[in-house]
Amino acid sequence: MAVERYLWLASLAAIFLIWEGSVRLGAVPESRLPSFTATVLTLASSLHDAGFIMRVAQSFLNLTSGIFLALAVAMPLALLAGLRNRFDTTMTPLIMLAGALPDIALLPILVLWIGPGNAAAISIAAFSAFFPIYFTIREGTQDISKDLFHVAAVFNTSRADTFRKLILPAISPQLFTGLRLAYDFVWEIVLAIEIFSGVTGIGLYISKAVEAGDVAEAFAAILAVGMMAILVDRLVFGRAERWIRRWID
Amino acid sequence: MDKTVDRLTHQMELKNVSKEYGQTEDPIPAIQDVSFNLHRGEFACIVGPSGCGKSTLLKMAAGLDKPTSGEILFCGEPVIGPHPKISMVFQSFALFPWRTVTGNVEYGLEVQGVPKAERLDSVEKYLEMVGLAGYAHLYPKQLSGGMKQRVGMARALAVDPEVILMDEAFSAIDEFTAETLREEVADIHADTEKTFVLVTHNLVEAVELADKIIVLSTRPARVKKILDVDLERPRDKTRPEFVDAHKSIFALLKEELETTLVRRRISRVPEFQRLTDIEAQS
Repeated sequence: MAVERYLWLASLAAIFLIWEGSVRLGAVPESRLPSFTATVLTLASSLHDAGFIMRVAQSFLNLTSGIFLALAVAMPLALLAGLRNRFDTTMTPLIMLAGALPDIALLPILVLWIGPGNAAAISIAAFSAFFPIYFTIREGTQDISKDLFHVAAVFNTSRADTFRKLILPAISPQLFTGLRLAYDFVWEIVLAIEIFSGVTGIGLYISKAVEAGDVAEAFAAILAVGMMAILVDRLVFGRAERWIRRWID
Repeated sequence: MDKTVDRLTHQMELKNVSKEYGQTEDPIPAIQDVSFNLHRGEFACIVGPSGCGKSTLLKMAAGLDKPTSGEILFCGEPVIGPHPKISMVFQSFALFPWRTVTGNVEYGLEVQGVPKAERLDSVEKYLEMVGLAGYAHLYPKQLSGGMKQRVGMARALAVDPEVILMDEAFSAIDEFTAETLREEVADIHADTEKTFVLVTHNLVEAVELADKIIVLSTRPARVKKILDVDLERPRDKTRPEFVDAHKSIFALLKEELETTLVRRRISRVPEFQRLTDIEAQS
């Protein structure tokens, strides 16, 4: 059990090994792809650079703010849709329509409206995080058995407690799936808006490094983003998943 | 029958309870004019053809649903919503999967704001009563159907209700386990002053447990007959009195189902159809 929990580290190590090997053996020119060790060394020196840290932090902050904003808007709507059929039939088709819009194509319009900056990054992050969060919470709410609501009612559960003790735990598996999906989508869109419209952040840093011909620096930044994503995944979602696995059928 | 049932006061009264579904212009009657009384400490079983509205009746008694007309009284007061002294056990067990056995059993007390230590004392007591001591820390997914229903029982008992409503409580459990559970419920009933109302389509179960059997008709449900079961407890299913009681209820239900079938068949005969059409036009 304990071994299984760290198995992902082994697969990660295998990927790094293949990367290192293919560069060392000359299968890929180093000017295009720096070796894994070179990337790690560049990353290690970048970590001493306050500017680098600031940019990673900025991207991460925009992304997190976007997700929380999306959660704050999507949660009440999704709960309503899951609990009230009439609301669902009127609202959900509209939301599906909005969700079908390609968010990458919306980028220039958004930048035109609110200018290139953190506000634009947060807005587009919230936009792309909204849909996975909305649909997963809605489905989770619809799946709650009627009898569980009857139990809550029989024991005279208040509205607040019905939310905290029934709805929230009941939808938690879907909620975390939604957040996880959103988190993946949003990294991409946040980096895209940085590169596209020059919003300060790690995306812009990568694009500038490539332009300057410093491929190792670009790869170091990409590695940092990847590490960050894994870290959040393990710390937040991994923990939630373990709790859910304890009780879910 | 070593237990005294207070036959003077009515703890629960159903007075001309009717329930209709659908639009007000064209309602579909589900329950029609159902009246009966329950004494404190009595064990009542509601039996009837499947889909007749038994469970709806029980939900109304629990305050989960409102009658279209008529009223339900508990200790003389109309039941207008869930009542702290009326508890319920569900066919589907309806346990919260994210709560352990303890978490499920203490739920009712928890939402009432009872302090943790006190709750845990109750949990221990009722888990003991239903034979689940030692399973407190398990999650529902780790339990068998029978054990889940024991948790459901303990949860219903933990709030110390006066009335326990059971909706097909033994129907989703394998017969062998269900039989043991029935015996335990009979014991709990004998040891406490609590009133039990069990909705079931299992007539043997009804005769085994009930002081009073309320036989409902096919939909819309009306009271076809109320029978008192005056057999010695614990009840032996092989005794002739038991067999007779079972036979007579079975006959009642069979007759009910057959008359309904005949009614339906006749209504499909063209001549009869024409007659009813003429009748409807005039």
